[in-house]
Amino acid sequence: MNGTTVVAIMFVLLLSSLYLLSGATQNSILFGRLYSVLLGINILAIVLMIALIGNNIYQMIKQYRARVTGSRLTARLVVMFVILSVTPVSVVYYFSLEFLQRGIDSWFDVRVEDALKDALELSQASLGIRMHELLREVEDSGKQIQGVPDGLVAPSLNDFRSSAGMAELTLFSASGRIIATSSKETGRLVPQGLSDTNYLKTQQSRPEIGLIPISDKELSIRIAVHIPPSHPVTEKRILQALYDIPERINNLAASVQTAFGDYNELAYMRLPLKYSFILTLSLVLLLSILTAIWAAFYYSRRMVAPITDLVEGTQAVAAGNYDTRLPPASRDELGQLVKSFNEMTRKIALADDAARLSQQQMEQQNAYLEVVLAHLSSGVLTFDDEHHLHSSNPTAFQILGVPLHENYGLALADIASNYPQIQQFIDVIQPHLSNNEQEWHDEVTLFSGAGRQVLMCRGTSLPHTITLQGGHMIVFDDITNLQQAQRNAAWGEVARRLAHEIKNPLTPIQLSAERLRRKYLDTMDAEDAEVLDRSTHTIVQQVQTLKEMVKAFSDYARMPALQLQAIDLNTIIAEVYELYRTNESRTRFSLQLDKQLPLVKADVGRLRQLLHNLIKNALEAMDDEQPGQIRLITQAVEDARSQYIELQIEDNGPGIPEDVFEHLFEPYVTTKPKGSGLGLAIVKKIIEEHGGMIRAENLPEGGVSVILRLPVASDERITDTDSDSEPQLETNNDAAA
Amino acid sequence: MLACINPAKPKQRWPMARSLRALSLGILIAGFAPLSQAAEFKVRSVATELRDNVYVLNARINYTFSDEAQRALQSGIPLIILMDIGVERQRSWLWNKEVATLQQGYLLLYHALTKKYIINNLNSGAQHNYNSLTATLSTLGQVTNLPLIDKGLIEEDERYQVNLRVYLDIESLPAPMRPLAYLSSDWRLSSDWYSWPLQQ
Repeated sequence: MNGTTVVAIMFVLLLSSLYLLSGATQNSILFGRLYSVLLGINILAIVLMIALIGNNIYQMIKQYRARVTGSRLTARLVVMFVILSVTPVSVVYYFSLEFLQRGIDSWFDVRVEDALKDALELSQASLGIRMHELLREVEDSGKQIQGVPDGLVAPSLNDFRSSAGMAELTLFSASGRIIATSSKETGRLVPQGLSDTNYLKTQQSRPEIGLIPISDKELSIRIAVHIPPSHPVTEKRILQALYDIPERINNLAASVQTAFGDYNELAYMRLPLKYSFILTLSLVLLLSILTAIWAAFYYSRRMVAPITDLVEGTQAVAAGNYDTRLPPASRDELGQLVKSFNEMTRKIALADDAARLSQQQMEQQNAYLEVVLAHLSSGVLTFDDEHHLHSSNPTAFQILGVPLHENYGLALADIASNYPQIQQFIDVIQPHLSNNEQEWHDEVTLFSGAGRQVLMCRGTSLPHTITLQGGHMIVFDDITNLQQAQRNAAWGEVARRLAHEIKNPLTPIQLSAERLRRKYLDTMDAEDAEVLDRSTHTIVQQVQTLKEMVKAFSDYARMPALQLQAIDLNTIIAEVYELYRTNESRTRFSLQLDKQLPLVKADVGRLRQLLHNLIKNALEAMDDEQPGQIRLITQAVEDARSQYIELQIEDNGPGIPEDVFEHLFEPYVTTKPKGSGLGLAIVKKIIEEHGGMIRAENLPEGGVSVILRLPVASDERITDTDSDSEPQLETNNDAAA
Repeated sequence: MLACINPAKPKQRWPMARSLRALSLGILIAGFAPLSQAAEFKVRSVATELRDNVYVLNARINYTFSDEAQRALQSGIPLIILMDIGVERQRSWLWNKEVATLQQGYLLLYHALTKKYIINNLNSGAQHNYNSLTATLSTLGQVTNLPLIDKGLIEEDERYQVNLRVYLDIESLPAPMRPLAYLSSDWRLSSDWYSWPLQQ
């Protein structure tokens, strides 16, 4: 608004100065004086405008080069405005010049010039006739004065003047001094003097006749005659007479003079006039064009400003800054656009906030799900529609022992080739995925370094509502322990029953046999007695054997509660080893005990039993052909989650047949001719009571390595195992009781 | 109508170009033309004397008009010649103090009907006619007994200096002539300042 006012005021000022200038060019008295000043002002204005525009152009080029937003549009608008304004003005200028030249030229005409000259000559001629008539009068007066001395000449002059109707009659000396004068107008003190040329001319005795301008519009006839001296001693004198011209003629003559003078003046000023008109016109044009150009810059900037804002705003929004608000623009369509833009960004900002919020919620949901999945005891795998692994939870890694998270995006076959140990698992689930079964479940048995694993898999195809369209999810549990526990429980029950059902009749059988022997041995003859003795002996011995067997069963079925204490496993190994070292068997023992072994919480008695069982087992497994060798190795093992003590017992026996492996730690599984088949089952039970694990593997160079791990004395773990195992033991005890 | 009866002028195809050419030529000439020796105003001699307790000035000045100025005069353009006179008190330690200034103006005009040159003293209004420009200018060049300053205004123990110059007043020319007159040396008719001590 302010800018517009300034522009308007400047424009009006310039316009008025130009108007004055053009007025001055027309020779108007009012502006004539100001002409030079106005010219200066206008030229100064032009210089200022040029400087202003130069600066604007410089700025624009700079911005254009720097690719400032809006500079291109501004430049285009400016160029358009300039072309629009300059073109018509230039055309008008061209034709104005043409008209100006012709107009000024048309003022002049040879015939008019001639006519004016003729009029002038005519005036001079007509007055000339009268002048020659008057000359005689003056000459007469001169003759009459000739003899009159200087001092007495004044009255005569007066007489001559009034009688001849002269306006003024003056007598001069030869040097031009006034001797006497007489004037019609009494107030006139100083008579019309002789001009020096007149004076010189009259020296040559010739009269002078002519017109002289008295004032602007008044002419007089002037006649000067020279009066020869009356005596040789006296000086010659000059008599000058002025005659008034009748008013009518005077007016006519003045009119002719004025017309001729003006025409001549104009004719002389023909070129200067043209130049000054052209100059004025050029100034007007230049100022108009410069003002237009400047206005073009000004209004282009003003027009582009909201567009620039919009462009910058749009870029800001594109860059993600949704808080961009533009300053309100004018009330036109641009203003509407700016308003709409602001409304749009507001809505986008709201939508963005909502999206962000929902994304946050989703992330929380995902995190929650991840936590749930991570703490799930089941392994979870998802596959996309092309049966490529999409995700897994940590439990899946633990169960399968394969870093599945490194294999996302791989096909099942590729994973199988990378990790042959889960080949069986993949073989089982592959057909279910290929058949796109909605719901399925299957059991997989895996054999790996960690031993035998039984997995229960449940698969389902994913609903169409989520991203993994046509994908599958597989949930699997390691039910090895469960199965084992069930089996153990079953065996425990069998053992309890056996103990109960078989132990009870054994004592009466034994007693009866002993009684038979006591009563009838002495009464029988030697031959029968021997039979009886042998038979009863066999009965008692076998019953004894049965009793021991039942006791072993019942021991297996109900073991007393654990007496946990922190112990050094190496010490117990050393104790047990001491017992066997002295044995006369050919077997050689070697110990590799880790000196830095941490303590474990364990029941000393049970551990001893465990070691006895294992060593005995190893010794029994040994064939007699080659010297036996048993190695006991302890070491501390640490994996990502916990710390263990690992004990390995290696022998160089024949190894375990493949078909026994599966049920190695179950009761009544044995490869030996003698033995209850409970040794390893008890070992496993003890290890499990201590929260450890056990596995066996055939060594490549022959023999078996039984590896067992016990958790290092971390209180919680022991306590957990304690509390878990105690009720079970109690129930077992109860049942046994 | 006037345009129709103007046979002298051939049709101009590029009036603007011609005018601009003439204009630029004029500026060029004005800038580079050597100063004409003939056209100049020169103060030849100045003298002051005390007459009836008034200092009067007598001067002889050479007026030589350029052809262009003469042509303008004969075409009826009135020319004004100004004479600037200043009386200054001389001061040794400061610039001179101006005591009095005086400007005399003379209007020169050619009267076509009577074929007379007229000098009109703008200060007194007195008008004189002459038959020739030479006579006119020589009369104009003789300044006799021009009252300058009253004796009462002059302090006896001070020194005074009188400065004089004459010049053609371009500002009094008709407006259309002024731009060219300012640029052209033909019209830059001016004498240098002429200084002399006031005779006490």
